[in-house]
This record gives sequence, structure tokens and C-alpha cells, in this order.
Amino acid sequence: MSSPRNQPILLFNNVSFTYAEDKPFIDGLTFSMEDGEFIGLLGSNGSGKSTILKLACGILRQSAGYVSLWGKPLTAYRNKDRAKLLCYLPQLLDLQVPFRVRELVSMGLYPYDIPPGITVDEALELVGLADKSDVFVMNLSGGERRRTFIAMTLLQEAGLVLLDEPLANLDIKYQLELLRLLRELQAQKNISVIMALHDINMAMQFPKVMLIKEGKILSSGSPEHVLTKDLLKEAFDVGIEIRKDGSGATYMSYENFL
Amino acid sequence: MYKVKITTVIVIAASILFISLFLGPKVINPFSLDATETNILLSIRLPRVIVAALVGVALGASGAILQGLLRNPLADPYILGISSGAALAATVGLLSGSYLSCTFSIPFTAFTGALVVSLLVGMFGWKRGGILPERLLLAGIGLSFLFYALLMLLISISSDAEMRRAVLWIFGDLSLADWSLIPYGLLLIVSGLFLSISRAKALNALMLGDDLAHSLGFSIHKEKILFFVAVALMTAASVAMGGTIGFIGLLIPHIVRFLIGADNRRLIPVSALCGGAFLCIADLIGKSIMHPAEIPSGIVTAIIGAPYFLFLLRRRDVLTT
Repeated sequence: MSSPRNQPILLFNNVSFTYAEDKPFIDGLTFSMEDGEFIGLLGSNGSGKSTILKLACGILRQSAGYVSLWGKPLTAYRNKDRAKLLCYLPQLLDLQVPFRVRELVSMGLYPYDIPPGITVDEALELVGLADKSDVFVMNLSGGERRRTFIAMTLLQEAGLVLLDEPLANLDIKYQLELLRLLRELQAQKNISVIMALHDINMAMQFPKVMLIKEGKILSSGSPEHVLTKDLLKEAFDVGIEIRKDGSGATYMSYENFL
Repeated sequence: MYKVKITTVIVIAASILFISLFLGPKVINPFSLDATETNILLSIRLPRVIVAALVGVALGASGAILQGLLRNPLADPYILGISSGAALAATVGLLSGSYLSCTFSIPFTAFTGALVVSLLVGMFGWKRGGILPERLLLAGIGLSFLFYALLMLLISISSDAEMRRAVLWIFGDLSLADWSLIPYGLLLIVSGLFLSISRAKALNALMLGDDLAHSLGFSIHKEKILFFVAVALMTAASVAMGGTIGFIGLLIPHIVRFLIGADNRRLIPVSALCGGAFLCIADLIGKSIMHPAEIPSGIVTAIIGAPYFLFLLRRRDVLTT
């Protein structure tokens, strides 16, 4: 989906949010996202990644400022209309749901009265689960379960996909598989993606990284620009350096704790 | 995939409802009815089968809704205290004699009780701007104990005749079923059933968690309130017509889910139908097996249901499939 009048597809304008009555958890956050971007939202535990994603999809309401989606305030959308533009996969998915793969994936069509172009079979084909359509979700491997939920979001045909730590608790093989799948889908379907993550290795695979701490953006841009020793020290409170070996491959070097 | 199974279930359930009319302490031949048999059929059997079917429909559907809504396989109107709340309110009406002055008073008091308990349970389960299923269940269990204690207190201070009537009714008694309550019960149950089936997609989404349901375009609080209203309507009607009949709300949705899957668009109506058929069988057994004495239907459903449920539990993981 293209943005009208070249407006950002997602805009946080001076957004604040408070969980309790004390100091704001997010304080005056401003950023925008352009059409087709693939952003890694990187930060330590409790840095505000999930809160930012929940504010972006309207699960949480900001106490000050505003969030807009394709140039229109998020609160001005009807629930169903918003769901056609933006979808969100939470960090804690209930992976014990008693549905079969096909049943769960087809829920992506719920915002629509008339189904959009893509079919359940096509979505399953895209995520490589065509042969598992009648299997119970709980009987799949961790990576397959995540892909089932990704297929559901594909069926939702939203232009902006917000993913909260989808790589957490997955083996490295499944992490890379899922990341590659999302990059391919982004290219094929022209969707925009923000993915929360706390793994610096994975962040290096993103064209754009937003590094956050205590609800504030420390830096935003290419991994080379953002993942510097000083900024990583500030975000994670650990001395970490991204280095290149003789072959040009990158690796992380930690300060010695032991 | 499920069409054949659903059709088979519908045919079997409809057959049970029909056959229940003619079986009992006295078997009636539908092809040679005399005047007495016609009278028995229209004045006693038909209203009783309709009441049993309606109560079973309400309990089967309510169990399916609550198990999905709370994402807990143990949820049913009894665990949540909605039934005991309705029972307490209706018993007050029953023992005070108000049902004699107005037929509508029992379903009305039962509905008020169910609604008040639903609100109370919802209030206790509400935290951080949302309903937390675990808190809701614990609140329901606590309130359920309280209401049953109050019920027992009421019964222990009532006269013998009132006490016998109230005790039978608390155990689930269909022996006094007649046409008078059917219109009100039908109205409440059909309303609750229509409301929940029309929102079945939202219930499917809520089973994935509140955040995903929001992402799929549903208003979480509105949907949850509508489902609680639907359950309150149906539970109130079932308690008003048949007293507190247990195990249908717990057992039937598990069996139906095992047969036709968890999609609530199928699960709610088929659980309703199977609940109706199951209670008709239980009532048939209860009134026939020790004739002329009658065993309350609630006792029969528990005696049949509990062992079968335990058998299923050992056989496969019904709690998750």
C-alpha cells in the first residue's frame, strides 16, 4: 500500500505513555516510518520495544502526543479498517490454541466482508506450510508455529506489520529462516515491517535499526551507523563491539565479564 | 471435512429429541394415540422435552462460550458462580412464594441473579484495564462457594415442603416442567444463542489472546461484555426452568470440540444441540429407571458425565483438542 501525498505510513509525534501514576515510561517519542521500510527495533529487556509497538497499533493509548497511520490519526480508524492496514503479532502467542493450521490462518480474513486477493492456500504456500494445513498448531515445531501466525498476518493483507520478538525462543536455524521469509515477503508483497528484537546479531541483518533505551531512540539508521561500541554500551550496559574478520564477515566481541 | 460429522450429529440429536417424546415410564406408540395418550403427550411429555432441550441447549452453548472466552477448559457457568447466583436469586423467589403470583418472576429473579454475579465476577476479574481469565475463574469459584452456602442456609431455615421442592430444584429437577415458563426461557435462550453465534468469529479471535484479537479488528471489551450477557441470559433461563444441572457445560463442548474442531461458528451451535439431546436422555433415564420415583436430571448428568469425562481424559488430551 502506498502512502498518500508522501506522508509517513506511521508517525509518532511527541508521544508519551505512563503505565502507573509515576514518571512516564515513554516521554515525548517522535519518529516516522516510510513505505516499504524493514526496521529492527533493538533494545534491552524493559527498554520499551513492546510498549512502542502496542502504542502503534492502538492496544495502548498514549497520554500525550499522537500516533498517525497513513496520515490519519490512529484513533480515527474503525477497528476493522485499522486491521486492514496494520497487523500486530504479540510476543507471547498462545501456541497451545486448539485450532488446525488452516483454521488459524483463515482468521486473517476476519477484518474483511469480501476476501482480498490472497487465499489461505497461497498464504500457506508462501510460508512453506502447504502440507501442514490440517495439522493442529500445537503439534508443529516452534518455527512452524511462528510461520503459521505469519501466514495469518499475510492473509490480513495489511501494509504495515508489527512483530514483537518473533525470533525469541527459536533455534538459530528457525530465526534465520523466519527472517529470510519476512525479507522475501516484504519484497514480494511490498509490506513495511517493524520487528522488536534484543539480539544484536539479528539486528545486523536489518537494513535499518532503531536503537532504544528507556523509551527513547538513541540512534536510528543502518546497522553500521547505529551498532557502534558507545551506543551499544549505552543501550545494553555492556561493552560490545562489532568487528569484521579477514573474510569481511562480522562478529561480536564482548568485554570479558568472567 | 466436518460436514458429514455435523450432519450426523444433527440427525442423531433431532432423533433423540423426537424419540424422547414417546419413551418414558409409559411407552407411547405415535401411530395409535388414544385421548389419554394425546393428553399425556401434549400436557406432560412435550413441555418436559422442550424444557430439557432448552436447558441443555443453554448449558452446552454457555460452556463452549466460557471455555473459549477464558481460554480455560474447566470454565462453565457453575465454576464461574453464574449458576449458583441465579439459583440463589431464584430460590429466594421460590421460597418466598413469589412464583405463585407471577410466572415471570422466577426467570426474572434468576436472570437478575445471573447478571449481578456476571458483573461481580467481571469486577473481581478486572485489572489493568482488562479482564484477566485466571482472576475471573478464582473470583467465580469463591463466589460460587458463597452463594451455595447462602442457598443451604435458606433451605435449612425453610419449611419441609419448601425445602424438598428447593432441594430437588437445586439438583436439577424437570418434573414440574410445564408450558408456562417456556416462552420466557425460549426468548432468553434464543437471544443468547443468536448473540453468541453472530459473534463467533470474535470468540475465535479472543482465543488467540486479546492483543491478536485487537489486531484482527475486534473491540476486546465490547466483545467480552456481549459474551457475558449471552451467557447470563442463557444460564438464567436454564436455572429458572430446570434448576442447577451440572456437567453439561463442561462435558459437551469437549466432546463436540473433539468431533468437529474448535471453530466457534460450529462449536457453539453443535454444543447447544448436543447439550439439548444429552439432557433429554438424562431426563428420560431419571424418570424411568426408578419409576414411580424420579432422580433429578442434574444427578443423572453427573453420574453419566463424570465417568465418561474421566474416560475421555485418559484416552486422549480432550482438554487441548
